Amino acid sequence: MANTSYFAGLIGGIKSLCTGLGVTFRELWTPKITERYPENRKENHIPERFRGTLVMPHNENNEHKCIGCGICQMQCPNGTIKVETKMVETADGKKKKQLVRYVYDHGCCMYCMLCTRACPQGAIEFSPEYEGAVFARESLFKVLNQPGSKCVEKPARPAAAKPAAATEGAKPAVAQPQTADADAAKAKAEKMAAAAKKAAENAAAARAAANEAKAAAEANAADTALQEAWKEAEAKALKLETAAKNFAQKAAEAAADVK
Amino acid sequence: MFDFSVFTSWLDAALLSVMPGWLTILVECVLVALGIITLYAIFAMVMIYVERKFCAFVQCRLGPDRVGPWGTIQVVCDVLKMLTKEIVSLRKTDRFLHALAPFLVVTASMTTFACLPWNKGAQILDFNVGVFFFLAIGSIGVVGILLAGWSANNKYSLIGAMRAGAQIISYELSIGMVMLTMICLTGTMSFSEICQNQAEGGWYIFRGHFVALAAFIVYLIAGNAECNRGPFDLPESESELTAGYHTEYSGMDFGFYYLAEYLNLFICAGMASTIFLGGWAPFVIPGLDGFNEVMAIIPGFVWFLVKVFFVLFLLLWERWTFPRLRIDQILTLEWKYLIPISMLLLVLMALCVSLGLTF
Amino acid sequence: MNAQDIMFVILAVFIVCSAFATVISRSIVRAATYLLFVLLGTAGLYFLMGYTFLGSVQTMVYAGGVIVLYVFSILLTSGQQEELRTTNLKKTVAGLVIALVGFGVFASVLFMYGFAPIDFAASSFLASPDESVISMDTIGTHMLSTDKDGYLLPFEAVSVLLLACIVAGIVIARKR
Repeated sequence: MANTSYFAGLIGGIKSLCTGLGVTFRELWTPKITERYPENRKENHIPERFRGTLVMPHNENNEHKCIGCGICQMQCPNGTIKVETKMVETADGKKKKQLVRYVYDHGCCMYCMLCTRACPQGAIEFSPEYEGAVFARESLFKVLNQPGSKCVEKPARPAAAKPAAATEGAKPAVAQPQTADADAAKAKAEKMAAAAKKAAENAAAARAAANEAKAAAEANAADTALQEAWKEAEAKALKLETAAKNFAQKAAEAAADVK
Repeated sequence: MFDFSVFTSWLDAALLSVMPGWLTILVECVLVALGIITLYAIFAMVMIYVERKFCAFVQCRLGPDRVGPWGTIQVVCDVLKMLTKEIVSLRKTDRFLHALAPFLVVTASMTTFACLPWNKGAQILDFNVGVFFFLAIGSIGVVGILLAGWSANNKYSLIGAMRAGAQIISYELSIGMVMLTMICLTGTMSFSEICQNQAEGGWYIFRGHFVALAAFIVYLIAGNAECNRGPFDLPESESELTAGYHTEYSGMDFGFYYLAEYLNLFICAGMASTIFLGGWAPFVIPGLDGFNEVMAIIPGFVWFLVKVFFVLFLLLWERWTFPRLRIDQILTLEWKYLIPISMLLLVLMALCVSLGLTF
Repeated sequence: MNAQDIMFVILAVFIVCSAFATVISRSIVRAATYLLFVLLGTAGLYFLMGYTFLGSVQTMVYAGGVIVLYVFSILLTSGQQEELRTTNLKKTVAGLVIALVGFGVFASVLFMYGFAPIDFAASSFLASPDESVISMDTIGTHMLSTDKDGYLLPFEAVSVLLLACIVAGIVIARKR
């Protein structure tokens, strides 16, 4: 406005105002984009890439692609995903991880898609399913692998896949895996408890040795060798004590899992 | 054309026959006041609904459509909500002025509302200085706004009130000037005579050709500013002043400001349609008697409402198109553009009338 | 008593009460508000007498203009509630004397005027309003005429005064 004259500014202003009015007048008659949600939930179109919820696609044989590697769990910034696995022995004697439960906490998810990007198998993806509201917080925890499902076998060994599928399919879908889980957890807990006990004994012995060394060192303050020995014993005792603590904690966790 | 004064004089005579004169006047005043308040409330609700729908349509939305068919009951629900809300009284405010201010605003608004000519003979306040009276009463509302901003003891309110004061006082000048321009043409200040003239000789916006048209546009701009509505809504600009001068009001005290804002818009549109578009006067072309007779079949208040809603459409269109101005831009627009233009229009109109260039 | 008288009494009481409140009030904004009521009441009296033009002028100029400017300047200058402090004895005595002198002047003028004695038997104490209202044309013609009852000279003098005010305002507000 500074370098235009008064009248040029006035006329230019009127012109631009009229342009604005023209735009809104056209807008007045355009079809409205409002979605009337509860009525149109049948035909409501949500774009394909909309991140509504995490899903694990299963094929027609109830097989998913998850190998239970846990990379998604490590990638998740919010601790949304919990992959529970167990070690099984395959027919040819190899040990292999197998997915037990893939737990997804919808309430924690921030839809960053780091998990789907990280997945080496492309086993999980986001679906545009947007009606995520539930009545209880617990309902937000979802198990993504379907009951009785298993990891899809590599096409190179179709013969091995069949009997496994058969045995898996023969079991009652929900109850069996759970008891198996419980048994495994119980065994784990017992093992852990034993380890913890042993570690605690070790730690106590080391502590006693350290105390002895300390007393000796204090008695002969001039003897540098005794001082060194004391320090060493002290460090060993501390290390063993922390190890014992860790074992005890793990044992407690395992016991809690059994419950 | 149906003359509403037949009914009013019949009512007056009927009341006079059963009670003394002072009681008749009292009863009539109460009846008229009830009528004004009812119409005021009804039109406020209609206006709020229209505004919300229009705003939604301009923004490519549907607007309220959940409560009742097309969301028509929504406004009723909002009004009920507003009526049942608590009126909060604040510490360290001037209680008396705080309570008084909304009534000043709403009284000024209602009194100007009473000036509107609804139909032939259906006009509540009709002085021979009608236009002048309308401007005078309208200017009291500013006092209410200033007091509201001051008494709340809140800097946002105070800033809002100061802005409102500066803006309304400034824009009153060009409104007055435009009114004078049209009075040059009408030769009378009485609303009933203005409407009667237009019913006989055609609307003034056609009779005053381009001068009247320019005056009409200036009036719409200044009237919009007078109502504190966008793009001139910075006395209550919600993004910077929370709500401006009515920040500290709650419940129905706030509701009065809300009502007054919408009704001021209605009154602004009503005045524009009275002075420029003929009020209740039907569309007439002098000389074509058959056409005029057909037009006269439509009752006057229908004509009036149709015109008011046409002007309202223009005002809403403007309001939802332009972004909010800064205070210096508002004052520049008024003092550097609108006032010179309206002065020029006044001179032009005086020339046209004296040279007989009008119809 | 007819409706005219009742309205007059109501307005008179309203004006007197507001006037007292104006001078008694300690808050300056409240005083301005009460003054607004006084001026509106006066406008009401004019309307009661049928002088609609005068009533409108009263509302426009005093209620809508002067009071708004008062409130505006109070808001601009003081900001916070600035209540009047209690005055000392000397000021009180001086104020009392001035008030008494003023009251004496008004009272003497009122009593010397010689109103017609009130006729309590009549239906109305007030003269009925003049129904033949003066039209705007007449007022305008008189304002700008140079005849016997013309007001052109005062009209122009007032406009010169207003022009002086505008020029003064610009001079004060101008950036140097």
